[in-house]
Amino acid sequence: MSTFVVLYYTALIGASCLAAYYEKRSVFMLIFSLTLVSFVLGIIGGVGALRFVALSAGLLALAAGTAYAFREFLIQISKPNLAKELRTAPLTAAFGMFVIFTYAIAGIFAPWIAPHGEAEVIGQAFQPPDANMLLGADQLGRDMFSRIIYGARNSVGLALIATLLAFLMGTMAGLFAAVKGGWFDQVMGRVADVIMSVPSLIFALLMLSIFGTGLHVIVVVVAVIYSPRVFRLTRAVAGNIVVMDFIEAAKLRGEKDWYLIRREILPNATAPLIAEFGLEFCFVFLLIAGLSFLGLGIQPPTADWGSMVRENATLISFGDITPLIPAGAIALLTVAVNFVVDWMLFRTSGLKEQ
Amino acid sequence: MGDLSRLVLKRLGFGLLTILVVSVLIFFAVELLPGDIAQAVLGQGATEETVAAMREQLGLDRPAPVRYFEWLFGAIQGDFGVSLVSGERVSAAISGRFVNTLFLASYAAVIAVPISILLGVFTALYRNTIFDRVANVATLSTISSPEFFLGYILILFLAIRAAAFPAISSISGDMSLVDLLYRTFLPMLTLVLVVTAHMMRMTRAAIINLLASPYIEMARLKGTPPWKVIVKHALPNAWAPIINVVALNLAYLVTGVVLVEVVFVYPGIGQLLVDAVAKRDFPVVQACCLIFAATFILLNLSADVGAILTNPRLRHPK
Amino acid sequence: MHDKFKNAEVLLQIKDLKIEGYSDETWVPIIKGVDLTLHRGEVMGLIGESGAGKSTIGAAAMGYARDGTRISDGSIEFDGMELTTASEAERRALRGSRIAYVAQSAAASFNPSHKIIDQHTEAPVHYRIRKRFEAQEDAMQLYEQLRLPNPKEIGFRYPHQVSGGQLQRAMTAMAMSCRPDLIIFDEPTTALDVTTQIEVLAAIRDIVDEFNTAAIYITHDLAVVAQMADTIKVLLRGEEVEQAPTRQMLDNPQEDYTKSLWAVRSFHSEQRHRPTDGTEPLISVQNVDAAYTGGVKVLDDVSFDIYPGMTVAVVGESGSGKSTTARCITGLLPPMSGQILCKGEPLPPRYKDRTRDQLRQAQMIYQMADTALNPKVKISEIIGRPAQFYGGLHGPALKQRVDELLDLIELDPAKFYSRYPPELSGGQKQRIGIARALAAEPEFIICDEVTSALDQLVAEGILKLLDRLQQELGLAYMFITHDLATVRSIADEVVVMQHGKVVEQGPKDEMFTPPHHPYTDLLLSSVPEMDPEWLTTVLEERGVDNIGEAADT
Repeated sequence: MSTFVVLYYTALIGASCLAAYYEKRSVFMLIFSLTLVSFVLGIIGGVGALRFVALSAGLLALAAGTAYAFREFLIQISKPNLAKELRTAPLTAAFGMFVIFTYAIAGIFAPWIAPHGEAEVIGQAFQPPDANMLLGADQLGRDMFSRIIYGARNSVGLALIATLLAFLMGTMAGLFAAVKGGWFDQVMGRVADVIMSVPSLIFALLMLSIFGTGLHVIVVVVAVIYSPRVFRLTRAVAGNIVVMDFIEAAKLRGEKDWYLIRREILPNATAPLIAEFGLEFCFVFLLIAGLSFLGLGIQPPTADWGSMVRENATLISFGDITPLIPAGAIALLTVAVNFVVDWMLFRTSGLKEQ
Repeated sequence: MGDLSRLVLKRLGFGLLTILVVSVLIFFAVELLPGDIAQAVLGQGATEETVAAMREQLGLDRPAPVRYFEWLFGAIQGDFGVSLVSGERVSAAISGRFVNTLFLASYAAVIAVPISILLGVFTALYRNTIFDRVANVATLSTISSPEFFLGYILILFLAIRAAAFPAISSISGDMSLVDLLYRTFLPMLTLVLVVTAHMMRMTRAAIINLLASPYIEMARLKGTPPWKVIVKHALPNAWAPIINVVALNLAYLVTGVVLVEVVFVYPGIGQLLVDAVAKRDFPVVQACCLIFAATFILLNLSADVGAILTNPRLRHPK
Repeated sequence: MHDKFKNAEVLLQIKDLKIEGYSDETWVPIIKGVDLTLHRGEVMGLIGESGAGKSTIGAAAMGYARDGTRISDGSIEFDGMELTTASEAERRALRGSRIAYVAQSAAASFNPSHKIIDQHTEAPVHYRIRKRFEAQEDAMQLYEQLRLPNPKEIGFRYPHQVSGGQLQRAMTAMAMSCRPDLIIFDEPTTALDVTTQIEVLAAIRDIVDEFNTAAIYITHDLAVVAQMADTIKVLLRGEEVEQAPTRQMLDNPQEDYTKSLWAVRSFHSEQRHRPTDGTEPLISVQNVDAAYTGGVKVLDDVSFDIYPGMTVAVVGESGSGKSTTARCITGLLPPMSGQILCKGEPLPPRYKDRTRDQLRQAQMIYQMADTALNPKVKISEIIGRPAQFYGGLHGPALKQRVDELLDLIELDPAKFYSRYPPELSGGQKQRIGIARALAAEPEFIICDEVTSALDQLVAEGILKLLDRLQQELGLAYMFITHDLATVRSIADEVVVMQHGKVVEQGPKDEMFTPPHHPYTDLLLSSVPEMDPEWLTTVLEERGVDNIGEAADT
């Protein structure tokens, strides 16, 4: 039996004993059940499986540590009101914020961070990683790492613009529908129903086949596809506010629709709308990534994570993880946003119960 | 009873109307092309004569509404016209592939639906425990990952490194069922992962939403044990949202397979659609879109009808 | 202690109970050390304003802490068993079988998916006290005792098929299903109309007597508790004020707080009469019919006048159309026929067609101050906006006007000027609502159940304020309410509505002296009075089979 295995079990059992001693019931249950699972894993998968478990646990611990430190950092630099909110953030949300922060830095400062140009060919096709090219080269010999960095700017940027457009259209339509009611509300509702009754990817494919795959086409098409979702949510949120007596009082005072929206409804709808923006971004981002993966999104040579997966897909059959890296980059950002949104939704729903 | 059937009929009529509107949308979207189909397909380089010949062949000289009704009545009878690229009948290209897609989707559904509802009930029962939190993080992560990420991870570990399943799901009609199930295991697993996470979260949310109701507190104060509170008092009222979630995800399965089919090179209708879009083969694109949209609408429709039928207030009118 | 129970066995003994609630990331005390002793067969009334912790104590008596609360200290001993240290399973085994619960809203507390009788038999079958069939037989018998119509059949309906008052009795029957030693009644009649309340009260009292069940009866309504309880315990903000047998408590309260509760209904404003010099009515509702889109007629030929400086109370039970009348006057719901005159001029039916000055004339004060004030807007803007909108005030003039208005409603401008509504108490919010209405400088204000969501002392303050403002500013009020005590104290004229029709109208003094219209009579006689013998007397007068719904035809 290798020293690793001995150390592995010693650490686990030691940790569970400590947890039991300090009466941390859930921690104990977690660690000890991991110990039991490890016995089985060790028998089936051998030392390799245990190393994998140890590695994942290490990564998780690292992520948790980063998240904890980042949360403290945010609490320190923000105003007391915001700091109080941040203190309630679970580690997952803090981790999400950290990832979003990192991506933002990478996207904004891409030309300074990336060691090579976006479309610069500097090696042979599929060249393995070395000191110059951290992640190796892609199918044309361009630096994979640099392209990932640029991808943060292109893929995320495009998704962000599309989301903003969808959001603008959706919230405006939703707010006016809620305030005006009547036929305007009916018509908007039916239009949203029709658009939402076609699956989003299919709708996007239909439109792209007709209008081609220009960037502006993608932005507009994706915005049109997802604005009904925003519309419905805004309509529902605003609908709950519109029935309140303070709106009735303002209406009876003779206030105009725009005043009602701006001063009376919007201040009460911000929390759910921000959360919805995060969710919406995830949907848009995944849709655009899917389109790119199908070769119908952002066109080469622009670096884009979805297309990078597609271009390097053949490597997977050699057991190489390169195509998984841009795919993982997509997943990580969406997970991060979802973690933050999850916390925000919990906050807003928690407040509602009181 | 009269109220109930009227509601259901109204909903069905509305569903049919939606399909009709969507068919109009799909047909006339193509009319938005700069120039017309013939020009778009043949490109800038084509001579006047060839474009004119193609117009003739497609019958573009007749007004659009007439062509729409021809197309619609053809579609109802299963005739979607002729492919611009291969020249063969669209229906011939689609029919076999549509069956394949349905097979993959139902394979995934049969496994995903029971698992996710059970898991959803369990997470609701053991809410705020370690089990629930781990499940929350895990499901959030799966939902957030693009299908091709999950697909390639499965290929890498289960097909390449472990060599347990085929990475490419090529199937043919004469395979035995067991063989079919084995070859489509990885795409099925990818779909199951995505859909299960979603369904399970929604089931949990639907149940937990109800746990705050006064009648649940009443049940607790009658001394009902926790599992019975969930199963007997919460679940019967949660059916409507759960049915909705299931239908939504089944609908998603049918359309979400597009990406998965491409990853696993599975001969389904999704692959066909993607190819047709790249080649601008409009009759095929329209046919695929109509089929996908109709399936999607029909599934959502059945969810609504199901929700109406399980509502005790509607089932037992005053 | 009540003499009757001197020799009875102690059933429930709560000592120094402390309960904490979780809010704003910390645990704050909500019950601060309460003792309670209950004997077998004794009915104890727990009374106090909202936030006094009555419901929390009720739940704690079952060893139950609601989500977000915890029992932090003290002991709860039920029939020799200590509930705070018992296991969850042991506590659960008591619930439903030996301690039962009757909730405030029966409609929400019955599971919509199961038949009433199946929910009734759940506990006895679960505890193996009765077989299903026996339990059903027993349920029918209980339904009969509680005077439910069709006792053999009603249990096989679903909750939404049965009316609120009947459901409340069915829930009492359900609580009785295992013949518990103790029942907790948590405001069981608060959500009901007065005419329905009386039958539920009678039914509950009879059945509790019959099985000699001990009960804790939680309510904020003194007159109700006087009918039901042997002993009354008064609570204030999680602490006991005093406890005494009912009669003694009513006749001779010891503490100042209790006395102030008892004195609440003493406020009376002097009755004014219509001007005789031929002044036109300020608002005149003439033959108004109205319906919501696609619905049945909710108002049927409604006519009444409101003269300047007078208070007209519109009374009726829920669904009588009193709020709809207000919506017609404000223009939110255009009438199908008939018209509304303001100083002799007809008002356009839709509020959107009215001029600013017409809109300014009629202001509203709402029932729920929580939804009537935008939680994200500062007080200064809430009050300032109408002054700015109608009066065109700006800058220092606007600020001065807001300060004036705050003074008028007896709130310190320096303290409240830049605060937000959620930071205010219920009574303060209602005052801000009044200030907003006053800011428009109207002659006429519609008060829609303005006091019914408030505790009695606070409500009293609001009524006094409204009365003072009326005298100072010469306002006319249309006072929509279901509470006849409020009508007695503030109205000049009364309009009684039922099923969308005006049943009777006239000056207050005439309305409160017989002879009445039969419905007015029913309404008047159904309002509980402080006298513990009131319920018994009314039942004797009407006869048990002729109360509430039975008489309401």
